[in-house]
Parts: sequence; structure tokens; C-alpha cells
Amino acid sequence: MSTKVNPNLMRELEEFGLKDANKCFHCGNCTAICPLSTEENPFPRKLVKYAQLGLEEKILQSAEPWLCYYCGDCSDRCPRGADPGETMMVMRRFLTSKYDWTGFARRFYTSETFEIIAVAIVGILVGLALWIFHADNPNMEHAALNSVWPAPAIEIGDLIMAAILTFFLLSNTWRCVKFVMGDLLKKVPLEIYATEAKELIIHFITQKRFGECTDRMQWIVHLLIMTGYSTAFLLVAVFLAGGIELVGLAWEPIRFQRDVIYPFFHPMRIFGYYATFAILYGTTYALIGRIKKSKAPYKSTHGTDWMFLILLQLTTLTGIFIHFCRLLDWAMATYVIYVIHLMFAIPMLVLEVPFSKWAHLAYRPVVIYLTRVKEKYYEMQKGTA
Amino acid sequence: MEKKIAVYICTGCGIGDALDMEKLTEVVNEEGSAAICKTHGNLCGQEGLELIKKDMADEGVNTIVVAACSPRVLYDVFDFENCIVDRVNLREQVVWSHKPGDEDTQMMAEDYVRMGLAKANAMELPEPFKPEQEFSRDILVVGGGLTGMTAALEAAKAGASVVLVEKEPELGGFQKKVKQIATFPYKDLQDNPLDELIKAVTENEKIKVYTGAQVEKTVGGPGVFQVTIRQNGSSAEHAIGAIVMAAGWVPYDPEKLDDRLGFGASPNVITNTMFEDNYTGAKVTRPSDGKEVNNVAFLQCAGQRDPEHLPYCSTVCCVTALKQALQIKGQNPDANVFVVYKEMRTLGQAEDLYRKAQETGIIFIRSQDPEVKAEGDKLAVETLDEVLGESVLLEDLDMVVLATGMVPATAFGPDVAQEEKEAEGEEKKEEEELEVPLDVIRRSNILNLDYRQGPEPPALKYDFPDSHFICFPYETRRTGIYAAGCVRRPMGIASVKEDAAGAVMKAIQCIELTSRGAAVHPRAGDLTYPEFEMKRCTQCKRCTVECPFGAINEDEEANPLPQPTRCRRCGVCMGACPERIISFKNYSVPIIGDMIKSIEVPEEDEEKPRILVLACENDAYPALDMAGINRMTYNAWIRVIPLRCLGSMNLVWIADTLSRGIDGVLLLGCQHGDDYQCHFIKGSELADIRLSKVSETLDRLALESERVRFETVSIIDYPKLPALLDEFAATIDEIGPNPFKGW
Repeated sequence: MSTKVNPNLMRELEEFGLKDANKCFHCGNCTAICPLSTEENPFPRKLVKYAQLGLEEKILQSAEPWLCYYCGDCSDRCPRGADPGETMMVMRRFLTSKYDWTGFARRFYTSETFEIIAVAIVGILVGLALWIFHADNPNMEHAALNSVWPAPAIEIGDLIMAAILTFFLLSNTWRCVKFVMGDLLKKVPLEIYATEAKELIIHFITQKRFGECTDRMQWIVHLLIMTGYSTAFLLVAVFLAGGIELVGLAWEPIRFQRDVIYPFFHPMRIFGYYATFAILYGTTYALIGRIKKSKAPYKSTHGTDWMFLILLQLTTLTGIFIHFCRLLDWAMATYVIYVIHLMFAIPMLVLEVPFSKWAHLAYRPVVIYLTRVKEKYYEMQKGTA
Repeated sequence: MEKKIAVYICTGCGIGDALDMEKLTEVVNEEGSAAICKTHGNLCGQEGLELIKKDMADEGVNTIVVAACSPRVLYDVFDFENCIVDRVNLREQVVWSHKPGDEDTQMMAEDYVRMGLAKANAMELPEPFKPEQEFSRDILVVGGGLTGMTAALEAAKAGASVVLVEKEPELGGFQKKVKQIATFPYKDLQDNPLDELIKAVTENEKIKVYTGAQVEKTVGGPGVFQVTIRQNGSSAEHAIGAIVMAAGWVPYDPEKLDDRLGFGASPNVITNTMFEDNYTGAKVTRPSDGKEVNNVAFLQCAGQRDPEHLPYCSTVCCVTALKQALQIKGQNPDANVFVVYKEMRTLGQAEDLYRKAQETGIIFIRSQDPEVKAEGDKLAVETLDEVLGESVLLEDLDMVVLATGMVPATAFGPDVAQEEKEAEGEEKKEEEELEVPLDVIRRSNILNLDYRQGPEPPALKYDFPDSHFICFPYETRRTGIYAAGCVRRPMGIASVKEDAAGAVMKAIQCIELTSRGAAVHPRAGDLTYPEFEMKRCTQCKRCTVECPFGAINEDEEANPLPQPTRCRRCGVCMGACPERIISFKNYSVPIIGDMIKSIEVPEEDEEKPRILVLACENDAYPALDMAGINRMTYNAWIRVIPLRCLGSMNLVWIADTLSRGIDGVLLLGCQHGDDYQCHFIKGSELADIRLSKVSETLDRLALESERVRFETVSIIDYPKLPALLDEFAATIDEIGPNPFKGW
């Protein structure tokens, strides 16, 4: 059965930021130069070809977009200026929207207006909620956040939000697994899934594949943002009230949101500083890079890329302001900035994690893991055959 | 002319240090034929040249032997008016390639001086050929298409009068129906400016245009062509100097294509030239119902690069497909246009057009063997996409355009050699088994040459009347006739214009050189020409058959009728003639024979074998020089005689050599066959074939066949030469001395 060619897919992909893929004449320099491309999973040329011929099914089944970390070597070496690295990026956007069953991701990616309005609405709702729901007697003499929004109450909000996010992200990830595995999903014995699970964790934590790229700076920046973000996430989502207060699992000495500031070398403070530094350094590097278009991965910036970096940067900056206001004991300023901080942080989490760029934190390690699983499975098949 | 011979030996460039000059001078004196023998430290310098000129003026010296560097260098310095000059190559081929001060080296130099003297004694001053007829400088251009018209204008601009003959009722050729063209700088499609060109040609006073006309007959040779042009039942005669052949091409017949390509299965399967016919600048529509096309597939290389059809690439179809695809995209940017190709061959800057096509969203599929599926109204193409590695299906096509290729106008009509064979029947075949296969000459009714060998220039490959593409651009294998444009090889508009100008330049060069009685390329400027001692001719036809350039006609009694302005002076006829009646003033069977005879053959007990090397002066001789320039050393038993072409080698020289006691003969010629390097096309091949008959001679002399060998050498092979020569010398040594020594 011959594959049917669909010339219209290119037009669809253009909405996701595809620009130069039609310039490709398939010389294969990109695949040759890519340090991550292997014989079993060659890319990026293959994906460019899929795009040109409009082979949507094949794109959906492809693991390769998630195996690429976009170091930009391919785009630098492309003799036609077809920017294969960006095509891989577009594929990730396209796949994210395809994995998302709500259709929200698609709208988010294909319309900047929709994106801005969505962020604005969530931000305003957060602001309004904080305006309406606060403690009756805020301490206006000293900066004491818990007197306005007690940590356990915020934690409840956190948990509700986390539950919703997890539901969407996991359901989308499940679709991703189904697309990537296809018929193999049930054929592969559970044992392999289990033994390879460590890959999932290793890749999630170290992103060691990224380290194989020629431009190690990209890996370092990415690792900074990832670890900074994870640390911050743990601090605000898990340790906000020193554990999970709701079920009585809280320990005061590790509570993140508290009114008495920790001594300088307290681990919670150090973690906080690390997260702040890591995210700020990473996002600033990326933002300057994208403004200057300093290297291939920064040459084309989609609306969602800007939105992601800007929200992350603003969240971090407002976080720093809160910290200084608290140190200076400016009560009102602390509260106002706290509201603003959450007006940036929550839309970022709610919209980006399940429906947009942040979703790759789940898809990428999962797909790398599934690729390993598949390879193991085929090795096993060969062994038995 | 009473000869007064002088020998000048240069001692510069290391010659004086490596050789014993006194002994060398002695050799000259012993020979006795030279009146003067002088040495000089820098013969090519002002002082050295003054020395020679002074002797010419004071002593009446009129024949000079310059024993110095290779004749391939400083030929313009050692050029004296009305004076016979021979060069003895003591530098590159003696002192630079052999041990200095060695006995063998000295003997070699002495032999070369003797050979030079022998030649100087035997040769004469050339007298340029002057044809009896009135000399014409007009240029005939056959074909009034883009090439022909461009050539006519170029020639007119250069000051020549032009006769332009077009067989159709109107000028323009294929381009006449083309609306838009894709040519340099290939950034975008351009409107075809052909009408302006037609206007410029018809308005030019120096160009006489015949349309609806044909060349009925071409008689003579460069400078003295008499061309009869037939138009509307009447004939006109023109005296012509040289001819530009721009007869163009016809599209390959799509009916002959494989059924897989679907031609004929649906009216919507058309060829690229049919697309061109249909395109008016308005919307492209489907032939079946006139509906505007939306989905179109272009299949490249339809019956091209295919041994069953056209084995070659027509070079323009890729660009044409891009043009036509862009025309469809231009009318409807949302149209789905596919180009299925083997390789996109967008030569030079045509790559920019490819880029443009890619950017408009045309989809390119690399595939070797697409299949068109036509069922009723439905049209689809199924093909293995080589990049994808899977078969893909292009559905709901409105039109499929097949890229058929270009066939030269010379590819039609029966082959003359074939005709002759049939006429002569079986008997003759066996007898001529060893002959060189005859050239393909078709009666394609373009020039209708009144030549012994056939009415059109011979084809090199695939019926294109070309010569070796690097060494001889524009040259057909008929002197004074230059092919240009798509009749020479398939090409696009940009190349056609260049080709037209190039061919005209060649035509002008030919007229100019011929008017001085000189040869054209590759022996440009040579004033000698073959002279026939007709009394001794046996009418064997060998010269008229073997001349690679068809320069010799014959009369009813089979007497050769040489046409010297058609001659390229290769000497193949001289090598062919069993009666040895053909000779040049400075190159003949006796002259070379004398040189061979002047080689001193040492007695058997001296253990100094001698080997004669007959080297083609176009590749092998310069390769020997190169070996010397690179100071590579080789066996000193060899004695080299340069030949104009190995095809001019006469077997009698080999008999002469061996009967004198020389131990071996090595022939160094050019590569022959498909990628021939021979400047005279068939020379080395002829030599090789003649050599196969030398065994008779060897048998008669009771000699071993290994004593005579043929090797092909190209100039880049010079590093291999010393080993080759040493190995041959070792073989000869092993065989032992020639028993004819001392006879």
C-alpha cells in the first residue's frame, strides 16, 4: 500500500512556526552532523521529508522530535538554509497539540491572540481570587505573608491546581505513549517497561543526551533552568507549608512560606537562592540569545517561546522582589508583589505545563524511555528469533 | 634551394656540464653535411640569436639544427624567416633525464644530433597551399533557430557576411512557440525576447536569410565551399568560407515510451514540449475538458538516461519542468505540483530557480521509476520515493507532464556505412575484418556534403556530430564545419548563446588560417600539407577511407582528390599509403626513414641495445619532456622520434628499424576508443590496428613479436613513463640482441 501524499500538511505546520522546510533538498548533511542521530532513529532529515510529503501518521508515530535537544548544528550546516532544527521544534509543537485531547494546545500554539488572552484571563482570575480571599486581619506593620494568605490555605490551592494539571498532563502523556508505541504497546512485556524505568528518571534528572550535543552551553543553560525550576517547584508546591499540612505531614523548620526569615545558610534559603540564580541566568541567557538571534536555536522564536521565557523571568523577578520586600519588612509592597508574582506563576503553570512548551518535561523523558524500551524489545526479538 | 646547414649546440641549462661538447662537435664534423658547427652558452639569448642571424646573413646559412631544449618550448624564438629549422632535444630528453657524463648519455646526444642532421638534410621549406578558386570569407549558418540566429548576428558583428538557411517558412525554430523562458540569471521566468532577435537578424544587411529553404549541396572545403541552396523550387549558389551547423533538435517520440509512463492512456498525460505548445500565458488547463489544473505531476527523464531510449541526459528538462511548475503555481498558488525526478540537474545558477520552486511549495520526489495509473478520468502516479524509502501515491492528478528529451537533427536518415556494406554484400566483409569501424554518417539532409565519406559530419556518440568535448569544442570532424547549439549536444538557452558565439569564432579562425594556407587547430599555423605523387598511386582507396576528416575525395577511377583546405595535417594518409606516395615538406616516410638510419647501432658484443620510440607529439612526447623536467631518469638505450600522430606511422619504418639491427620498437600513442584523447580522433587506433599486421613483417625477418609494442600514454601519465621504458628495455635485453646487427 502506497503512502498517500498530502501537500496540505505543510500549510498546517506553518501555523506552528514552520518556515523553511520546503527549501530542503535532502542532502542529509543535517542527519550526518547530528550527534544524537543514530542508525535506528535517524533525524532530522526524515522528519523534514515527512513534513514535505504531509505524512501526518508517520509524524505522530515518530519519537525523533523528542530525541532532539535542538543544539542547532544541523541548521548551521544546512546548505539550503532549510533550518532542520527549527523543523524539529515545529514538530514538537505540532505533536504537543496532537497529544492534547482538549484541543487547547492547538489554539494556544496557532493563535498568539488566544495565547495572550488565555494568560491574561488566568492571571486576572488569580489576582481576583487573591484579592477576594484573604485573611481578615493582615499584618500591615510587618511583612508577614501568612497573616494575609496563610500557607496551608495556599497549599490547598496548590493541591487543587496540581491535581488538575496532573490530570491533563498525564492524560496527554498517555496519548503520546499510545502514538509512539502503536501496536507495540501491548506486545512489549511489562518486564522491559520496568527494567528500563531507570532511564526515565536518569534522563529526567541529567538530560545526559543533551550533553552529547556539540554546543554544551545549551545543555548547561537547559539544565540550569530545569533544576532551578524543579527546585522552585518543590519549594512552592511541596514545602510551602513544610510538607502537606492538609494531612498533617508538615514540619515547621522546612516551611517555605513563613514570616520569620531563615538564617542565610539555612538549606531552604540556599535552595531558594539556587533556584532564583539558575532560572534567572538561564532565562536571561535565552532571552538575550533570542533577541540577538545569537545561534541557530535562537533564530526563530515562536510566540509560545517568548511567552514561556517572559513568564518565567517575570515570575522569578517578582519572587526576588518579594524576598527583598520581606527583608526590608515593607508589608504592603510584599503583599502587592506577592499577588503579581502569583498572577505570573500560575498562568505559566496552568497553561504551559499541560498544553504548551512545559509539557516537554513529561514527553521528552517518556519518549526517550519508550525508545529504549522498543530497542530492548527488538533486541529481545532478535535474540529469540 | 641549395642547402647550407649550420648546427648550433647550446651548452646552457646543464647541457654543457653533462655532455662532452668537443665530441659532439666532432660528430657533426664527421657527418660532413654541416658547413658550420658552433656552441653557445645561451643560444636563446640575444647574443645567441645574433650569432645565428649573423651566420645567416654573412655565410648564407639557410638550414639550421638547434641542439638545445625541447621543440615544445621557445618555438617562437628559434623561428627564422625562409630558413629550415630543426630542433634537437638535448635538454629535456637527454641531460635532464639521464646520468650526466655517462657514456650512454653521450651516445644518446650524439645519435640525436645525427638524427637532427639527417632530418635537416631531407626536409624542405614549406610553401603554403593556395587554392585555385576564389577565396570566400562568408559564413553559412544552417538553421534559423535561436542558435543559428545568434550565430548569424555574432558573425555579422565580427564583420563577416552571412548566409542563413532555415527549413521552416519562418525564423525562430523551437523557441518560436515558447512564451516564457528560464535562463540566466534564473531568478525568475522571463518573457521570451525571440521576436527582437528575429527582427535584428532580418534587418541586418550582412545577413542574407533563406527561409523555407535547404542546403542542397556543399562542395569544396574551407574558404572554397560552393553551397547550393534550394528555396521554392529555385536554386541559389554561394561561395562560403566556413559553416556553422545549427540544425537543432526534435523531441523524442513519446509514442515510443514505456507504457508505465502512461502516454496515450489518457489525454491528460502530455510531454513537456506539448505543455509548451499549449501554454499561451493564460491559465493552464486540462487537455481532456479544459478545466483549470490544480494537481499536476511532472515526471522527469521520461525515456532519458535509459539505454532503451535516449541514453543521455538532455540537461534542459529539469529547468523546463521547474519553469512549467512555476507557471502553474503562478496561476494558482494553492495548486499541488509534484516533480518526480531521478536527479535534479539544475546546472550552474539554475539552482536558484530550483530554490524558488521549492519555496513556492512545489513538492520534489526522488524516484527512478514512476508509474502512471490512468483509469477513466482518474489519473495517479505511484512511485518509490528513494529518500522516504517507501512507495508514495499522488492521487487526483489533473495532468501528468513527461520530460522527453532532445534528439539531434543529425540522428535521422540511413547510415552511409551500413548502406555501403549492404551494397557490397558479404564477400568484402571478411577481407576488411581488421579495418577501423567506420564512422556513423546519416543522410540527415542538413549539409549534403559532396564528400567521399558521406554527406554529413560523422557522429561521435548518440548521433551528435561532435568531437572530443574538452579538446575540440564546436568542432565537427569535418574541417571548417562547426556545430553549435542542440545539434552538438543538448543545452539550454544560456549555453546556446555561448555556443553560437564560440562556433562563429572557430569559423572565423578557420577562414583566417586557411586564407594563409595554414592548418587549423590542433596543428594551427602549420604551413605544410600532404602532397601526392599521383604517378605511383594504385587506387587502393586507403587514404580516402582512413582520413579522419574526410579531406580526400576520389574521382571515378578511384584516384584520390585531396582537398588541402579540409586537411588537418595529421599524416594519417601518409601512414595508410602502402605505396608511400604521400609526403609533407618536413615530414615524410623517407625523412623519418633517414632519421632511423642515422642511429648508430653498436656491435652485439658492446651490449648496448637500441630501442626506437615513435612517440605521438601531442601527448606522449610532452609526457617524456615532463619526465625530464621532473628529473626522472630512464633507460638510455632509447631514441625518440616524434610523430605528428601515431596514425601517420608507416609500417615500413618498423621493418627499416629492425633490419638495421635496432633491438626493439615502442609506439607511444594516445588512448583510443570511447574516451579517445587522440587529437586526430582515430590515429592511435589506426596505428594499433596496423601494428596487428606487423607480425607478418616480423615473421619474415624471423624476429620475436615482443620486440614491437604499442602503449597508450596521456600527458598525466609521465610519472609512469620511466618504469614503462625501463621495463621494455629489460624485456628487450632478455630477448637478446637483434640478429640483424651489423648487416
